[in-house]
Amino acid sequence: MAVSGIDLTTLTLRDALDLAILVEEEAEERYKEFASQMELHHTPEAARFFRFMAENEAKHGAELAERRRELFQNAPSTVTRAMLWDVEAPDYDEARAFMSTRAAMQSALHSEEKAHAFFVEVLPHLKDPDVVALFTELRDEEVEHQTLVKQQLDKLPPDADLNPDDFGDEPVGQ
Amino acid sequence: MNLPAASTTGLQPNDYRSDLKPIWCPGCGDFGVLTALYRALSTIGRAPHEIAFVSGIGCSSRIPGYTTAYGFNSVHGRALPIAQGIKLANPDLLVLCAGGDGDGFSIGGGHVPHAIRRNIDITYLVMDNQIYGLTKGQLSPTSPRGLKTVTSTYGSLEDPVNPLLYVLGYGASFVAQGTPADMPGLATLIEEAIRFPGFAFINIQSPCVTFGEPDQQLKSHKQSMQTLASVGHDSSDRIKAMDLAQAYGQKLYTGVFYRNPTPPPTYEALVRERQQALDPSALPRPRILDLFLQQ
Repeated sequence: MAVSGIDLTTLTLRDALDLAILVEEEAEERYKEFASQMELHHTPEAARFFRFMAENEAKHGAELAERRRELFQNAPSTVTRAMLWDVEAPDYDEARAFMSTRAAMQSALHSEEKAHAFFVEVLPHLKDPDVVALFTELRDEEVEHQTLVKQQLDKLPPDADLNPDDFGDEPVGQ
Repeated sequence: MNLPAASTTGLQPNDYRSDLKPIWCPGCGDFGVLTALYRALSTIGRAPHEIAFVSGIGCSSRIPGYTTAYGFNSVHGRALPIAQGIKLANPDLLVLCAGGDGDGFSIGGGHVPHAIRRNIDITYLVMDNQIYGLTKGQLSPTSPRGLKTVTSTYGSLEDPVNPLLYVLGYGASFVAQGTPADMPGLATLIEEAIRFPGFAFINIQSPCVTFGEPDQQLKSHKQSMQTLASVGHDSSDRIKAMDLAQAYGQKLYTGVFYRNPTPPPTYEALVRERQQALDPSALPRPRILDLFLQQ
């Protein structure tokens, strides 16, 4: 499981919201890292897409943070980033120099699928009905996101029939 | 190193992220190592100004630049002597040392045994990618026999150095192996290594996405890695650790191979003891510094 040090059976709505915010924050950060990598390695189209994904994750995070503020004001958080790993953040090995927009979108799709799998795995362990409702909502949102990415993928022309592993932007000297 | 059990400072992983953006190739294993390191440091909870991070030369040796701490991207193969000097000069610092397999087992190979036998309390992270990546893909000391590179057109005729057996053979008290394919596991290993009171070594199989072999990439690691706990390994058994370490290159075991249950005193502790024995009136280091600053 992508979280540790969290007792799901006693998870409160406040902690659940904090966890969800951190999941979005982690994904936003990773997409920004990917965008930065792509900009550095002459892959501007993929960089633009990863920036777009980072903005989306930030928007979702802000929405969740607003809900949290309305319900719990500034009550301290007991959930930290150290408790979760790559729930919705794309894996580092998804990135490649010169990756196509299609490949970038596919990596985002894998991340949405990963996040969906996380909520599916977690839901049976939850006891608080408000937390169950929140995580069910988040699980279903991941399906919506997958649909959106797939729609965008369908609009793209097919990739060139080249093996991306045959191309690399070699390391830069000291 | 004697540290509190968990962070009491509220430091978060991103507090150790520097403003420099990594220039590693997209897909490089070192990104995962860096993320695991940030997590480990936040769990340890030492403030950035209490940490010194030394490296040699190579792609992986850029890591101190990406970490908020005192950093020194030093000379090829000479990271360990510099790290030892820093630790002796200021034993209160948490000293980390990093480099690649070439830096550690070829150019700097002669320094490793001496750091081990002195048992200086530093944590040495070797990012082992079995190739010289920065210089565009030549054979490195851990390249497998038969590997074809620009310097071995017909395949390498040499067996690789086994980093695990190398350090176990010289008597290292803490020896582990990890991969960024398992970032949580790697973060735990780094944390354990830092907490270990003495020289701690982690061989991190961190693939080179540009020049590495296809079967040595993170996707393969996710399939092939096997925790030492799953094979029932007792990390206090050095002989068994050496037995398992022989699988280097064939099997990807992750976890602690060996942790000396009764680690010897650290070199810096012995130095302090000797100073006290020779001159009982010798002042502790912070007091000397205070006196200096008052002048």
